[in-house]
Amino acid sequence: MKWHRVKAIVSRHAYVLRRSPPRWFDVLVWPLVDTILFGSLGVFVARQGGTGRAGVAYLLAGILLFHVIFQAQIAVAVGFLEESWSRNLLNLMTTPLTELEYVAGVALFGLLKLVLGIGVMVLTAWVAFSFAITDIGWGLVPIFAILLVIGWVISLFVIGLVLRYGPGADILCWGILFVVMPLSGVFYPTEALPAVLRPLAKLLPTTHAFAAARTLLSHQPMPWGQIAIAAVGTVAAAFAGLAFVLQMLRVFRHRGYVTRFS
Amino acid sequence: MAESVPVETILRATNLRKRFKETQAVDGVDVIVRAGESVGLLGANGAGKTTTLLMILGAITPDSGEIEIVGQRLPRGRSVAMEQVGFAAGYLPLPDRLKVREVLSMFAELYGIADPGDAVAAGLERFRIPHLADTMGVELSSGQRTLVGIVRSTLHRPRLLVLDEPTASLDPDVAQRVRIGLDELCEEHGIALLITSHNMVEVERICERVMFMKDGKVVEEGPPSELAARFGHGTLEDVFLELYAAPDRDGYRHEREGFKE
Repeated sequence: MKWHRVKAIVSRHAYVLRRSPPRWFDVLVWPLVDTILFGSLGVFVARQGGTGRAGVAYLLAGILLFHVIFQAQIAVAVGFLEESWSRNLLNLMTTPLTELEYVAGVALFGLLKLVLGIGVMVLTAWVAFSFAITDIGWGLVPIFAILLVIGWVISLFVIGLVLRYGPGADILCWGILFVVMPLSGVFYPTEALPAVLRPLAKLLPTTHAFAAARTLLSHQPMPWGQIAIAAVGTVAAAFAGLAFVLQMLRVFRHRGYVTRFS
Repeated sequence: MAESVPVETILRATNLRKRFKETQAVDGVDVIVRAGESVGLLGANGAGKTTTLLMILGAITPDSGEIEIVGQRLPRGRSVAMEQVGFAAGYLPLPDRLKVREVLSMFAELYGIADPGDAVAAGLERFRIPHLADTMGVELSSGQRTLVGIVRSTLHRPRLLVLDEPTASLDPDVAQRVRIGLDELCEEHGIALLITSHNMVEVERICERVMFMKDGKVVEEGPPSELAARFGHGTLEDVFLELYAAPDRDGYRHEREGFKE
């Protein structure tokens, strides 16, 4: 992997973000809106005599951690779609750039966007709802890392589907996460799901990561067992995502689909 | 008497085949380009030229055949090989929301140029478009975009330059500027050129050797003047017409002769 090529991809996407105000919506506006929405919902429920402060914390921690997946996924997948929208794919494919360097470039730039987006959420939650995510402590670090990798893995599946089915499949970039969200129990234990969906929910590493976050919020000891299950699931998903995108890339090259993007 | 120095082969593609569903797009094509040589790949629409180029560039996987560029076998050596290859096509746009200078700097970095600024300035100067440096890519005319695409593909002084319909959208003045720029570049740096074009006059001026493709096969090959003579014509355009009007060649000839009368 050559660093100068990764850097070239980072600067390409930095220019796009700088010159395209709508792109800031995902980075700043949506995180802000979600924090206010879920924070207010938590406050309302608490005032009805429901959960007390714990409800606010569950909702805010849930949406904040969900945005880790969202921002990581959207950064890589939209980065790739950017090449599709501007018909730049063939230009890139005929340079020395490798697939790994490309993904590393968009993921690295995505990390910068993630820091901005999560920063906005943490600040808003603290100022508007007196909720400090850092109260969870260091246990947040492995949960954060797992969700970050899962976000990247989901983006590999999205890229694979766009390679296979063409630019029209780009709707999946936003839609796929809203399938993952309810199944992962972002705001509630998966026992609250309809019985038929619970086994499926248990298969997702995100379910165990969010459950671990809720355990920490309840001031219980670090649930290493759940973290381990989530980590193993994440590694398995990462291998599956890589295998899928490489296979789709093989199909893409074999069937000459590059002409759909040029 | 001095011994002749063997000329290095930059591109060796042998027995390339590609089928898309019912269509045999490329059928046993060999393309060999030597250092400093200019080769034209010609043919009517759908003859298999672009598919051949995209296989050579590693963007499409051939069903069979072998491709070697500067000693690197594709697909394994694609990244290393592409460090020595430049590609531009008249139909490809520039990335959105970037100025020309930024697009060129980004591609210069992809090719590992340490100081992109100088290479970008020299490239723009060579094709006489330094005034476009701070223009947004989307604001360029199609001709200007093509010129910038050619600058992009030559920033790193490739050993092989692949151009697909480079002058398709250019007016004669700009097309001539492209030809002159390419001539100078290829001569100064010994760059080999593989080009597709429908402009036979341009091909005659640029290429030392041409290959005519039809139905995915190379049907004629040779220096432009030799080919024209072999067909009993004065120009490549007439050779083209002879080859691609073949299904109703007699009718076409009668029509032409009738018209002359």
